[in-house]
Amino acid sequence: MKHKAIVICAAAAAFLTLAGCGKHMAGAARPGQLALGMVTDVGGLGDKSFNDSAYRGLLNAQKSLGANIQVLQSRSASDYQPNLTALSEKHLDMIYAIGFLMNKDLDQISKQYPKQHYAIIDAVVDDPNVVSATFKEEDGSFLAGALAALVSKTHHIAFLGGQDIPLLRKFEVGYIAGAHQIDPSVKVDVKWVGSFEDVAGGQELADVLFNGGADIVYAAAGKAGIGAIDAVKTRANAFVIGVDSDQDSLAPGKVLTSMVKHVDVAVFDIAQAIQQKKGLKGHLIFGLKDDGVGLTDFKYTRAIIGRANIERVDAIRQDIVSGKISPPATPQDLATWKPVKL
Amino acid sequence: MSTGVSLMLTLLFLTLIKSVPIVYAALGGVISERAGVVNIGLEGMMTAGAFSAVVFTNLTGSPIVGLIAGVFFGAVLGFVLGFAATFFKVDQIVAGVGINLVALGGAAYGLVLIFNQPGASPQVTQLAPGQLLPQITTGETAMIVLGLLCAFGLNWFIYRTPWGLRIQACGENPRAVTDAGLNPLRLRLYSVIASGALAGLGGAFLSICEVNLYSDGMTAGRGFIALAAVIFGRWTPWGATGAAVFFGFFEALQYVLQGRISWLPSDAMQALPYLAALFAIAGLVGRVRAPAADGVPY
Repeated sequence: MKHKAIVICAAAAAFLTLAGCGKHMAGAARPGQLALGMVTDVGGLGDKSFNDSAYRGLLNAQKSLGANIQVLQSRSASDYQPNLTALSEKHLDMIYAIGFLMNKDLDQISKQYPKQHYAIIDAVVDDPNVVSATFKEEDGSFLAGALAALVSKTHHIAFLGGQDIPLLRKFEVGYIAGAHQIDPSVKVDVKWVGSFEDVAGGQELADVLFNGGADIVYAAAGKAGIGAIDAVKTRANAFVIGVDSDQDSLAPGKVLTSMVKHVDVAVFDIAQAIQQKKGLKGHLIFGLKDDGVGLTDFKYTRAIIGRANIERVDAIRQDIVSGKISPPATPQDLATWKPVKL
Repeated sequence: MSTGVSLMLTLLFLTLIKSVPIVYAALGGVISERAGVVNIGLEGMMTAGAFSAVVFTNLTGSPIVGLIAGVFFGAVLGFVLGFAATFFKVDQIVAGVGINLVALGGAAYGLVLIFNQPGASPQVTQLAPGQLLPQITTGETAMIVLGLLCAFGLNWFIYRTPWGLRIQACGENPRAVTDAGLNPLRLRLYSVIASGALAGLGGAFLSICEVNLYSDGMTAGRGFIALAAVIFGRWTPWGATGAAVFFGFFEALQYVLQGRISWLPSDAMQALPYLAALFAIAGLVGRVRAPAADGVPY
């Protein structure tokens, strides 16, 4: 019996590890063809959010630059290194590491393959052969928070994060500060799914937040956010704010807006620069000014939000661009941050 | 309704919803282990059920057809495991792990093949999404009731029918079944098929009832939690059902408590259901007895 228990535990562990390594391979590149590789993060393709945005950029490079593309999916953090190594062995023109969580693994791999070019999204890896692209998520989230505070009828909004990691804290902190910029007395609940993949968990946590009194939930949770958007469909006077990709059309009129992060643009721009043999700067920062982050154009919710509120949010956007408001990016910053008098 | 009452109700309904898939898989585990086959493949059978339910709902537009497909494909994997574990005498653990990997890989490949998009399926029609009670859908309510009926039915079957007693005998002493003129291998095979059907139903609940899509890895170890529930429930249908609800309760509790206890980080809170499982099983070591021939090929 004891022996069997050990075998069962080992089987469970083996299964959960081997469950990784999804592949989505294309054939080899022709000579002279731009060859691009991508390793996705744990949320995976089909998240209608972060990874899909990166994938769109890659598909765009395939279409307009004639690139050959290869994607390896990561189901857990232990897949990053094997996936990055597998692509590095193919000597591609550029390998994208999609996601903050990959920074340490990429740092290691990029030193092992000094001639290979890499790009990492959402983290900074300080190696000569790595281009880093980060986004000012706190700025876009600040606008989302301000909008939520303006639209909320219950004076109570919420944030639903994927994993509690520093990158996601930028979303959370920016959102809270944005809400407090409009009204410091607005209550903001925070919950974490603990995963970017658990769609059911995202849906049920959103339900818990709505039942707790919040009427707007900002879901920054990758694929799990799809669940939150589903939870809002059957509720009156409640909204979700989407993230990374434009998710407004997933539930027209119920997704107030999406805090879009143009990972696709970053991916495409880097591919184009490689093809044109342009030098790439080590660290690219995408913010509100260059539309690297921002809210959508409220296609379905314009009437619900109202013209005055939209103008107010737009004014705040201008103030961030001009430097009058600088949204906090860490919990420490938020603790000392005060709403800016305009 | 005050917030406190609303949260208690949320906790209650969430407990029910989170328990359902584990209940079905655990009942599947009970019948299989009672017949003497350890079903490590529950996880894979849930995956097969979840994925095929979405495919057939998408194909026919009817989630009922999807549900039936989920049961069917769970049973098919049950047949594969059962056949390997009985007539071919393959090691049950190895065969079960194989089932898990095949199901997960097959579903991931099927997404690309059928829906032409990796990672997650498009959204399909949900099983009776209307509201019967304020916080759970009609479909979920129906599946909760059906789960209880299954527990009731399985309990009656195992203890009150001749076939149930014969299956119990397969798990305790298969030679005695042979001596009585029956084929224990065939009884084991039938039991594992039923086990797969139940796990498939649990998987279908995850994909077309709780949400409305299949996403890679959505079973998230529930098959293994169900195995723990089988042991915690001492290999009885009602025991396993109770254990599944116990685990479901802790999963729901972490959702509701998160953010309310400020000094406890969310990661610690998320570990709650797994800690509960660990302590429950650890507390039982040496005090429960598996069917004597459980896991032993005949």
